[in-house]
Amino acid sequence: MAEERSSIIISIFSTTPGIGKTVTAINLSAGLAKEGYKVCLVDLDLQFGDVLNYLKLSSKQSIATAQRAMQIDADSFEVKDFLITYEHEDLTFAVMPPPFYLYDAYQANVARIENIVKQLTYFDFVVLDLNSAFSALNLAMLDISTIINFIGVIDFLPALKNFKIGYDTLIRFNYEESKIRLVENRADSQKLIESHDVERLIGETFYHRLPNDFPAAIKSINQGLPLMFCAPDSKLTKSFWELTGKYTNRKLQTDTQLQGVQTAGIGFFSRILAFLFGKR
Amino acid sequence: MTYQVILVEDDPTMLDDMIATLKNSTEFNLEATFKNVQDAVGQSSVFQPNLFLVNVDNPETLNNIPIFVDIFPDAKILGLVSNWNADIAMNVIATGALGCILKPFTKQDILDAIHLYTERGKPGLSRIISFFSPKGRAGRTTAAALMAQVIAEESDERVALIDADLQFGDLPIFFDIEPKQTIVEATQDIKLLNPLNLKPYFYRLSHHLYLLSSPDRPEYAELVDVDSLADVVRLTCNLFRYVLIDLPAGFNPVSVAMSQLSDTVVIMAMINNGFEIQHMKKALEVSKSMEVSGDKRIYPVFTRVNPCTEEERLKIEEKLGYHVSDILPNEYRMISLANSGRLGKSLPKDSLLMKNLRKIAEGIITGER
Repeated sequence: MAEERSSIIISIFSTTPGIGKTVTAINLSAGLAKEGYKVCLVDLDLQFGDVLNYLKLSSKQSIATAQRAMQIDADSFEVKDFLITYEHEDLTFAVMPPPFYLYDAYQANVARIENIVKQLTYFDFVVLDLNSAFSALNLAMLDISTIINFIGVIDFLPALKNFKIGYDTLIRFNYEESKIRLVENRADSQKLIESHDVERLIGETFYHRLPNDFPAAIKSINQGLPLMFCAPDSKLTKSFWELTGKYTNRKLQTDTQLQGVQTAGIGFFSRILAFLFGKR
Repeated sequence: MTYQVILVEDDPTMLDDMIATLKNSTEFNLEATFKNVQDAVGQSSVFQPNLFLVNVDNPETLNNIPIFVDIFPDAKILGLVSNWNADIAMNVIATGALGCILKPFTKQDILDAIHLYTERGKPGLSRIISFFSPKGRAGRTTAAALMAQVIAEESDERVALIDADLQFGDLPIFFDIEPKQTIVEATQDIKLLNPLNLKPYFYRLSHHLYLLSSPDRPEYAELVDVDSLADVVRLTCNLFRYVLIDLPAGFNPVSVAMSQLSDTVVIMAMINNGFEIQHMKKALEVSKSMEVSGDKRIYPVFTRVNPCTEEERLKIEEKLGYHVSDILPNEYRMISLANSGRLGKSLPKDSLLMKNLRKIAEGIITGER
């Protein structure tokens, strides 16, 4: 029954909490769905996941009920029975809700969750909203991810330290550099640390920068709508659309409409920096 | 000064050893020795002892220490143990004694122990206060760091700050230090440690404030065994009157074990998009069901509350369905202080944030909280 085709798994990971992982996961999922792909968003912040909150969804099923069902009868387990659908206008994507109870979060079994995620192969894209730690679960998810969207808001020193340590640790854990995409959130907000200093320190350039539009993000959360619906003109909405395009290679198909945005940073610039500053 | 010593030890060989150690010294004057605690309690008052050395391997002796404390409130009491044991040490402190030393001992051991335990502050159990947050980025580390400083200043007693956010602890960077010893070394060496050799694992931040740092790499968190960490915390109580623990976000083996060990848990959430109140509720429900002893004090605190007024606190309280003990405003200046590692030096003392934190700290010092 195994189909040979597999999904592209994008994990949204950070080493500092509260920096916009869930907002990114939702808007990336919405963007991918908008492009016509079949998308499943999995909330893997098992204790305090916010995907349902931010989309105003409710559900009887969750990854915890899925895990139990799989435990009882693995053969008749169908992952689709545990997914819910987010729909707005012509947009639709699937969501795997997090456990409702902390007790269930504590019972999470890494192997089973991995198994559940692997059964989502009938989707084109699976977006994993992780939490901010190098836990057994997160490492298992990063292992099976096609792309690690490593996101940070680098507005003060501890955040910078954790971003660097997080990146260095990913490299030490032997994740391929090409798999790790550094994304800076609230990149244009007023702050004391400049992006290029961050890049110099990390020895790698940002793959994408998301601008700051706090009011739009809050509006999106309060209305339970992805940004494309509630703030279509926001620079943040546009930037999410560009990020989505990078992951779908949209510009190869359409045209080079993305201007002023630095595209994939694995190249000349980072090599020069590596030469100058002795990367690792 | 010369100590007028009363020695309580039931093992005659050990007693002879100790007498030999204490004799012919200018620092100690051996007033009397007793083989059992009843005799010591009944007869000590004819002497004028200011130091009791009491064998606490014997549980009956341990139970009688409060009587010594009562009769000789100004005397110092040291428990003598054959093997170091964190549980007995805690019990000894709880009785009002200074702490424990291993026997046999040298004269210097006694002097060092007295010095160390006196610096700790008032006798009695330490306060262990954990800072927990459901999701992180709640201002937890900032609050723990500032509270520790305020308590150290105001109480004039020793305060330990333990960075138990093992993967991404921020306290060393807040204080701009690079400690050589961390929680990894302390937990790995715990079997060999006693209060006299624990201190070097701490970094001295100010006169009374010490930090036990988090590991410098996230994966080193794996090297920290939770039971050993609990032992480190209990050992820390022998040296510090207040032990403040900064926890990792969410419920995990470390945050659960540390919360259970604490007498006080400050649960922090930052008001951001409103769902934090739900997370706080969830966390409170779990914390209540997890309580090992009924008298644990749990303080839900919301940060970045704007406007930071009583009215707003009541509003949050209503939404939460639980008492909200404190609210803290945002303080932008704090960011630049943390950025520059000056958190230990120049606090904006006049700010509302500091005022509210001071209120909590003072409540802890006076015991009202």
